[in-house]
Amino acid sequence: MTAPITSMHIARTADDADRLLSTGTEAVPLAGGTDLLVQRRSGRSVPAVVDLSGLDGDPVTRLENGALRLAATASLTDIAAGLDGRFPALLDAIAVFAAETIRNRATLGGNLATGSPAADTVPALLAADAVVELRGRDRRRQVTMVDFLLGPRRVDLRAGEWIESLWLPAPPGAGGMRKVAGRRAQAISLVSLAWQWELDPHGRRTAVRLAMGAVAPTVVRLRRAEAVLEGAPSTPEVAAQAAAAVSADIRPIDDLRAGADYRRRCAAGLLREVLGDVPPSTPSTPSAQIRSTHR
Amino acid sequence: MRVNGRPVPFDPRDPQLAATRLLDVLRDRLGLTGSKEGCGVGECGACAVLIDGRSACSCLVLTGQVAGNEITTVEGLADRGHGDLQAAFVRHHAVQCGYCIPGVLTSCAALLERNATPQRDDVTTALGGNLCRCTGYQRFTDAVCDVAAARRGAAPADDGDGDGDGPVGAVGSANSDGQRAGGS
Repeated sequence: MTAPITSMHIARTADDADRLLSTGTEAVPLAGGTDLLVQRRSGRSVPAVVDLSGLDGDPVTRLENGALRLAATASLTDIAAGLDGRFPALLDAIAVFAAETIRNRATLGGNLATGSPAADTVPALLAADAVVELRGRDRRRQVTMVDFLLGPRRVDLRAGEWIESLWLPAPPGAGGMRKVAGRRAQAISLVSLAWQWELDPHGRRTAVRLAMGAVAPTVVRLRRAEAVLEGAPSTPEVAAQAAAAVSADIRPIDDLRAGADYRRRCAAGLLREVLGDVPPSTPSTPSAQIRSTHR
Repeated sequence: MRVNGRPVPFDPRDPQLAATRLLDVLRDRLGLTGSKEGCGVGECGACAVLIDGRSACSCLVLTGQVAGNEITTVEGLADRGHGDLQAAFVRHHAVQCGYCIPGVLTSCAALLERNATPQRDDVTTALGGNLCRCTGYQRFTDAVCDVAAARRGAAPADDGDGDGDGPVGAVGSANSDGQRAGGS
């Protein structure tokens, strides 16, 4: 029997949310509910919630320098529409995120706060060097993604705080996200990879950033593989070296979805696919479709 | 909060109701038992309803969160202009046990409202959160493409599934539907 939620408060403004979350130590932020209410059903005690799903504001704001502010409490559907083709890695991630019934409610803030190493939007945000903007009563702070992710189900979110937004430097032209999972919808990633880079006129990749999910206690950057690729020509030899370097960047475990050894092979293969070294073996993501239909 | 076009006869911000799942309020307070509870964790979509025209799992929404929104359940789809979609499901024999159908229809209605010319892949994507273990998705897709074509006021020359059998839903005519689906 799922225990009832005995207190629910609806925040109409961000200040409301600060105040409501500071008054009771038990109250937790609720936005889309697609994760918190599932955890509750699995036995997590959620006696009191503060609803953030009705907060106003643009899902995506573009600054003059090209940087983006993403509202952490907006639905993924609204974020995808607001991105309007910018930030392809996050668009890809949203396209393969659960299913439309979930994307219409789920939020970036919730996907971050749950601290899952397999969270689908997190690799794109980590690769993009996003900054998490947190707030609570009388305080605001900004934390880089790499500092925010502490471990499995652990993030740097303190009592009374909630995630208001994510700040991203101007996203590069080249980027994307792929996931390997048992099904094309409603599936938890076995391995996921987000990437971004710039291509110089000589076909060399620069500003290479790779982030992988479900292969370590948190989503991780593939720093050794990045170092191999940085400034190097796009040759099969370089791709093979980068794929070989992935193994030292990750620490996968055996769990009910896949074995560690499979994850290692999958991780290397996924990077080779992304580098164009081998043809993709799984269906391409339907992100183009999402972009055109979720307006 | 309005449900199927009518204001609800209670205050959805009432503390107890606000913290109750939308699905329970629809079924137990309003007697709208079309929406089903399958998994209770957002995997199956049997509880899907429209919230301001978008498909969502009512088992993962607290009533207070949608106190100012327009909810449409399967019972309200015809009044919203989707009676033809429901009729097409019947024509295409797209229903067997029926448990998933309220959610499936809801997701298909949401698709048709934002995309007047859905391709078969669009239907597949729109139904990613709706599990059906009987009929399969072929007939849902046939029904949706049929309705989309009819709403555009033209019988399509091709139903887009690449089998060259022309428009689906030519009910009573000898199309290949029965063959393809094994005549179930």
